[in-house]
Order: sequence, then C-alpha cells, then structure tokens
Amino acid sequence: MPGKQEAELSARESDMKKTLVALLLTAALLVPLSAGGSKEAGKGPGGSKVYPEGDILIWATGQPQFRKMYYQAFLDRHRDIAPKVNIEVVSLKTMAEGQQKLAMYALSGDYKSLPEVIMLDTVGVVELSTAGLLQDVTDYYNKIADQFVDGAVADSTVKGRIFGLPDAVRPQLLYYNVPILKKYGIDPAGMSTFDGYYQAGRQLKEKSGGEVFLSYVDPGNWTWRYWGRRGLMPQAGARIWDDQGNIVIGSDPGTKLALNFFDKLNTEGLLYKTRMMQQPIYEATDSGKIATFYIGAHWAEFMRKNLTRTAGEWRVMNAPVFKEVGKGGAPVSTFFCLVDTKTNEYTELFKMLWYDFQTNIDLRNAWVAEMEKLKGPYSNPVSKAMLAHPFWQEPSPFFDGQSFRKAEGDGLANPSKNMMVTASDAEADIIISAELEKYIAGEQSMTQAIAAMDRELKLKVKKAKLP
Amino acid sequence: MTGAWKKYRIPYLFISPFFVLFLVFQLIPVVWTLYISFTEWNGLGKPVWVGWDNYRLMAQDYMVSDALRNTVVYWISGVAIILLLALLIALSLNSPRLRFKRFFKTTTFLPYVCASVAMGLIFGMLFDENAGLINEILAALGGPRVPWLTKSAFAKIPVVILFTWRIIPWFTIILLSGLLNISREYYEAATVDGAGTWRQFFSITLPLLRHIMFFCMLTITVDTWKMFNEPYILAGPGSSNTSLFQLMYQYAFQTFKLGYASALSVILIVILLSISVAQFVIRRRQGEV
Repeated sequence: MPGKQEAELSARESDMKKTLVALLLTAALLVPLSAGGSKEAGKGPGGSKVYPEGDILIWATGQPQFRKMYYQAFLDRHRDIAPKVNIEVVSLKTMAEGQQKLAMYALSGDYKSLPEVIMLDTVGVVELSTAGLLQDVTDYYNKIADQFVDGAVADSTVKGRIFGLPDAVRPQLLYYNVPILKKYGIDPAGMSTFDGYYQAGRQLKEKSGGEVFLSYVDPGNWTWRYWGRRGLMPQAGARIWDDQGNIVIGSDPGTKLALNFFDKLNTEGLLYKTRMMQQPIYEATDSGKIATFYIGAHWAEFMRKNLTRTAGEWRVMNAPVFKEVGKGGAPVSTFFCLVDTKTNEYTELFKMLWYDFQTNIDLRNAWVAEMEKLKGPYSNPVSKAMLAHPFWQEPSPFFDGQSFRKAEGDGLANPSKNMMVTASDAEADIIISAELEKYIAGEQSMTQAIAAMDRELKLKVKKAKLP
Repeated sequence: MTGAWKKYRIPYLFISPFFVLFLVFQLIPVVWTLYISFTEWNGLGKPVWVGWDNYRLMAQDYMVSDALRNTVVYWISGVAIILLLALLIALSLNSPRLRFKRFFKTTTFLPYVCASVAMGLIFGMLFDENAGLINEILAALGGPRVPWLTKSAFAKIPVVILFTWRIIPWFTIILLSGLLNISREYYEAATVDGAGTWRQFFSITLPLLRHIMFFCMLTITVDTWKMFNEPYILAGPGSSNTSLFQLMYQYAFQTFKLGYASALSVILIVILLSISVAQFVIRRRQGEV
C-alpha cells in the first residue's frame, strides 16, 4: 500500500510540474502580445502615434461629468490613434481641493495616482507650477495663440511661461429680476454704476417695506470670494500686497473703496443674509426676496438649475463700475493644466482634445445645446472664430429671450485687472475672510476688520511669496 | 537572550504585525510630525528649520486660542450631554415596561449610521437664520429669530447638537450592553430590602456601570478633540466654532503650512495624552484601575 501511495503522489507531482510548465509557456507567449497591444505606443494606419490603453484622468470642478460627454465622443471619433483610451473624471468641490490632493500625492511619491489633467484657477497654477508639478505649454500655446481671445493665458503665465490651457474666461455680471424692478419703478440702466446700484437697493428697501433686498450676503467665506476677491476688490483696483509682496491692505485706498461700499450695502440692510449655494438662497430668490446678483457668469448655471418660479424673469447686464475707477468686472479664468506625471503618455492626446473642444464649432455648439436641455454647465468659448458664430448670439429662454451667451461675451469689455496672485494668497484668503465674517456677524466695524486683516497678515504671512 | 528569543519567537511573531503597523503608521509619523513642527514646509520643497517659531506664532494666533477654547467647550459639553442622554436612553431601552423594544433600539441607532456630512447640510438648513425650521418654530411661539450660525455667540450650539445627536446612539448601545450585564438578582435583593428606584440606580446601576462609563468618557474625549465634520460644515463667523483638528487641517491642506500644522498637532497630542493620563491617575487614586 505505501508503495502505491508513493507512486500516486509521484504521478500527481509530475502532473503538477507539467501544468506549471504549460502555464509558464502560455504566460511567456502572452506577455509580449499584451505589452505590444496595450502599453507601448505604436504607429497608427496613417503613421500617427497610437496611444496606449488606459485612462486620461481629469480632476475638475463644476460637474465635469458633462464635459466628459464631449471628451469621450472625441475619443470615439479617434479610435485609430486611441483605440483603448478612455476618459475618467473626478469631480472636485473646489479647485483648492484638487490642489491639496495633487500636492499630497506628489509629496508621497505616488505619481501613478496623479491625474493627467487638473482644472485650476490662478492661485493653483502659481502654487503648483512653482512646485514643478505642471507641464510647461508655452511652445505649444504660442503657435496657436492668435486663434484665442487676448489675455486668455494671462493668469496662467508664471515668470513668462504658460502652465495652463485656457478653458474659460468668464466675466463678473449683474443679474436682475425684471418684474421686481418694474414693480418698484427701478430702471436697470441706473445700475451701471455702483452709486446707482446702491440707490436701487435703497429704493427697493423703502418701497417694499424691507421685504425685498438688493442682493445677498453669505455669513461664511463666499462673501470674500464673490463680493471681495472676484468682485469689488479688483474693480476698485484694491491690493493685498504691493509688487514686492509687502502687505498693504490696511492702507490701500482701493481696498477702502471696495470694502466701504460693501459696508454701506450691508449696514443699511440691503443684503439678505443667507448661505450661498444652499437651498435657502434659492428659496428666497424664487420667493422674490432677492432682486439682483452681482457675481460671476457661472451663477447662471445655478440659477437655471435651482430657480423654477422665477425662470424667465431674469436678465443680465455688465457689472456696475466705480465712477472713480471706471473699470468693468474682472474676468475669472480657469485652466486645464497638464500634470507632470513623469510618464506624460497622454499629453499630446489631451492637447488635441482641448483644441478640438475649443475650435470644433459644430460639435461644440451641439454639446452646448445638449447642456441647455440637461441644465448642465457650459461657458463661452475662448476661440475667436467660435465666439463670432451666430450660435453664440442666440436667445436664452431663462433670460426672457435675452442672449446670455452674448451678454457673457459683452461682459468681458473694459475689464478690471485681477488682483496680483502669490503663493501666499490661499492663506491670505482665510485670514481676510475670517475678519470679514466677523464684520458680517456684527462683531466689528469694517474699519476694524480692515485693520485686523492687515495686522493678521503681517503676523502670519509677513511677506507674500512671489512666484 | 538567545534562549529567551528561541523560546518566545513564535509568540513574538504572532504579535509582531501590530508592532510593525504601529511603528510604520503611528510612531514614525509622530516622530516625523515632531520634526516638521520645527520647520517651515509647504509639502513640496525641502523643510527649512525655524526652531521654535511655529510655537511662538501659535501663542499669538487668535485662531488657535479660539479653536482651543471651542474644542474644550465641545469636550466638556460633549462628555456631559452624551453620557447623560445616552444613559437615560439606555435605561429606557432596558426598562421591562418598554414595549416594541426592537423598534426603539433600531430607531435609536439610526442617527449614528447617517453620514455626518449629509446631516450637517440638513442641520445647516434647520439652523438657517431666515428660513430655518428651528427659527420658524421659535417665531411661531413668539420668540426671536436666533442667528445660530451667523453670530459667534451662538455658533457652537448647532455643532454641539449635531455632534451629540449623531454620537449618542453609539454610546447608548455600549451603556445598554453594560446594563444588560448587571444581574437582575441585585435589583431583586434591593427591592426585598426596601430600596426604591433612585436608591437602586445610585447604589447598583451607576457603580456597576462605572468601568463602561469611564471607557465612554475616554472615547468621547478623543472623539471631541478630533471633531472635524460638524464645525467644518456648520461653519460660524471666522473661527468662532472652529475645532483644533479643523484648524490643523486648514493650515496643513488649505494653506500648506505643514510646519505650523504639525506644531498644532503636537500640541493636540500633548493635550490628549495629558487628559488620558490624568483620567487614569484619578481612577487609580480612587482604586478603580
């Protein structure tokens, strides 16, 4: 019996060895096939580069799943060069969040988890390009720069090099509810200056018995972002730092002009206190409590999506100006930045994709029409040819037949220069916003708030880190 | 030594995974944090040694003192409210007179399984100054509208309410398990001896729950000092309801002052260690440990 068992064991061992050899041989045959088929870039039928199998990972704010629809369709049209490439998008709450995540991955050396592309604003471009995490696209962009609106890459240029491909340049606008203004006898044309805007607010308050407010004020950090950094501050020519990075906010006349105007609106009770981007503000607006919004063009997406009862009652005009300065709203630029993932295998493919999105008039217009149906986000293009197309003058039902697309383009006229952005601005935003929030809570005057901003910046930042 | 190693190598091998993980994911990061706290570092370049600068700045930073004060408020109110309410609910769930026990146990636990971020958003709406349900009720009762999240004086209240509401179920279950472990015989004997409900509670229930309550107190302490989601979502003006943990995150990942954030975390570690040691010392003096 033991002899029989040994023979059986020996036979099983021999079978196992055979199986192992067969598996190894199969694997050896398959490895080159799979490597050649999926990971190494080759040449396509027309001689163009074929991109390896994989995903182009994009991190972006503002519901990027809608953008994915266009990008995926582009890849489907280019299966000859990207047979097995797909788009993956990760939605970010804020651009700062993307910046944080990217820095953390890079810090831990995890370059495999980095996205190929990240959407950034100026602060992010400055910070991440300084850290060497973004690809320089100067040579690529300069060859095609004449096709795009002037200044499209002004805010993604650091020390003369371009680190972001422009996605949108969106103006500051003034949205107003036509029936409300009509009811209280206010001519929207009068709101072309901030004095007129203030007078409109006073009239609304008096004539409505305090029921209707000129606009909103958020008790948190949205106030600094929308009323301050992107709104009144650049329009008043305000500065946090001078050109050497010294802190000047406490003595800067532009800051006083901007923040004292806001103080006037707030202390006279012309602003309805509610949280931005949350249900109560939409409820208040739909119930006719808020008559206007002085905010960026992106707000139109939120209005279309969240306001139902007042749809069709809104119109839009250029942001008011300070007579003393005479400049319109400052545009907010966003960029698609190519991350330096060390392999950068999809860099050229993404450039093609970006270029197609910006210049393929028919497909872009079709995508925008789809976005309107789906209440999805879209912005005006940055290509001159596309902007000149009649599609971008078409009326918008939400704006009572007015063309929002045209208004967005018009809003870029006579722009204010954006505030200087340094690597210390993320911290400055937190410090300044905290003082503004205490002011809104009624715990300090605006004069005290400005002095506190200056004091705290000098204590914590000392001097801005210039790019 | 070699003999002892040979004799115990298998037991050492069995407990080694914990120590390896502890070393890699806890001890080394703590030591690294201590080093970073003496540097200025944005996470990308090389850390620059700045000595005690971060600690000196902390002493002047009102946001740090605000956050410290807020966290102490969260800690003290959290321990008191959570222990009291969790005990009351656990006693009710343990009462022989309660009907539909399963239903009540399930519903009691529900807040704990709700996502804190989602609940935070809902609480934000409930506590909205102008359109919130809480103020609508107050107004209907003839009371004033309270600026819950728009005045520093009130901003901590919604945070405490949300935090305690979410976490009470967990401690209720722990205390309930403790109550279920107390033998009925003690109560029967006490009843025979003429002890009333209150006497039974103070002489039987509380003393026999003391170990579990101590555990709960320690856990709540750690939870409150690590509180993040609630004040982050229900943010009040400035740093009026910011927690220390939240401030640490803000400095580390929003402004990339990793040196300063590390200094804050060192302070947090020292505070938590001190509190835990103090609690153990008190218990030891009382002969409980």
